[in-house]
Amino acid sequence: MKSKISAKGVNVYYGEKQALKNISIEIGEKEVTALIGPSGCGKSTFLRCLNRMNDVIDICRVEGSIKFDNLEINSKELDVVRLRENVGMVFQKPNPFPKTIYENIAYGPTIHGLVQSKQELDEIVETSLKKAALWNEVKDRLHEIGTGLSGGQQQRLCIARAISIKPEVILMDEPCSALDPIATAQIEELIDELKNEHTIVIVTHSMSQAARVSQKTGFFHLGNLIEFDSTEKIFKNPGNQQTQDYITGRFG
Amino acid sequence: MNEKSHIVKSYEEQLLLLKDTIVKMGTKAEKQLELSIQAMVRKDLELAKKIITDDEQIDRYEFSIEEQVVNLIALRQPMAIDLRETVVALKISSDLERIGDLSKNIAKRIISIQEVISSELIKGLEIAGLKTVRQVNLVLNSYLHRDKDITENVWNSDEEIDQLTNSNMEMVLKKLETEKNQIQLTQLLFIAKNIERIGDHATNIAEQVYFLITGDYLEGQRPKG
Repeated sequence: MKSKISAKGVNVYYGEKQALKNISIEIGEKEVTALIGPSGCGKSTFLRCLNRMNDVIDICRVEGSIKFDNLEINSKELDVVRLRENVGMVFQKPNPFPKTIYENIAYGPTIHGLVQSKQELDEIVETSLKKAALWNEVKDRLHEIGTGLSGGQQQRLCIARAISIKPEVILMDEPCSALDPIATAQIEELIDELKNEHTIVIVTHSMSQAARVSQKTGFFHLGNLIEFDSTEKIFKNPGNQQTQDYITGRFG
Repeated sequence: MNEKSHIVKSYEEQLLLLKDTIVKMGTKAEKQLELSIQAMVRKDLELAKKIITDDEQIDRYEFSIEEQVVNLIALRQPMAIDLRETVVALKISSDLERIGDLSKNIAKRIISIQEVISSELIKGLEIAGLKTVRQVNLVLNSYLHRDKDITENVWNSDEEIDQLTNSNMEMVLKKLETEKNQIQLTQLLFIAKNIERIGDHATNIAEQVYFLITGDYLEGQRPKG
């Protein structure tokens, strides 16, 4: 498996507090990597390192190397906007813009200058919504407001928005925690589809979701990456006792 | 690995109950096997009849284990060691059910043998039978105590039972050429074969226990006698 993102010796501090300790991990291209662990273990912090979302937190300091292909993500010279063009993100709570469904998708390609004509833009909106498995449900109401959709539809709208600018990597931070089981299954099916063209890193509190959607799983605990292996290995026969205690629901 | 308790106590209790049911079922199956050999040696028809009636208890254990396993999978979604515990219990229970059934079958055949059989043949079957009882006992202990070494020993010593079975069958076949009580002798062939099959089930259980403990499969082809 070709590596898409390669982190080496990553330390993250919030002020004095060290949130991540010497994390090294290889994120495989076009596969789904799940990050699991108890609250406060650092998994979301790590996810946010991958598109420099921690920049917006003043007291946050990131050390070490994170390479996206051959590009050093932590480099001061890096164009963060270009990075985020290639590393999209979907959050826990669906957060569509308070605009129409069409505008939600069209916004990214337009400001990134990816389209020349209205027709091209229409095409991107349609393919993005199709890839996000939302097209059939919204094609007759593209000019209604996006926040009027159901929770699951809003989340798929956010995924459609993320993929509209064709990022190579999609980060998902608990994308289903606010969704019902049907909407969750639709997102999981979507993740399966998207991994053919995108590298996906997903943070989830649901063990079974990590098991269902990912090929690799990393277990974080107290800022350390305790174990990182194939998802099958982690859930059938983890190599580390702490991993086993966590995934089987034992006192950790 | 010495496991900590689950945070959810009722889950912990359900897994312990499953393990406990396997041990009870195993103990009963082992007892049935042991008694069937005893009934054969002593030509004890009353005992043989009791074995036949008691087999139902083993079937009830198997049903209970199936039910527990399906409930665990549906309601708890066990992972890692718990998943192996659950899946392995299901497989072990079906091997134990077969051991019980084959023991019952030995008892049935004893009833139709009566007393015309030479003690030399019975002796050979007894040796193989007791060896098999020992295998079942050991493998159940390896399950109870999570002992990988015993598991491997059981797995490696099935060959002896196969060899004993072969020589028992040869002896019976030789008698068949000269003696008139062919129906009874044929029953002995089946008993010899049942004992060998029970040994195979003990080996299957050893494989399951090994997987339970290590998460890996016992490698290589089982040695054949």
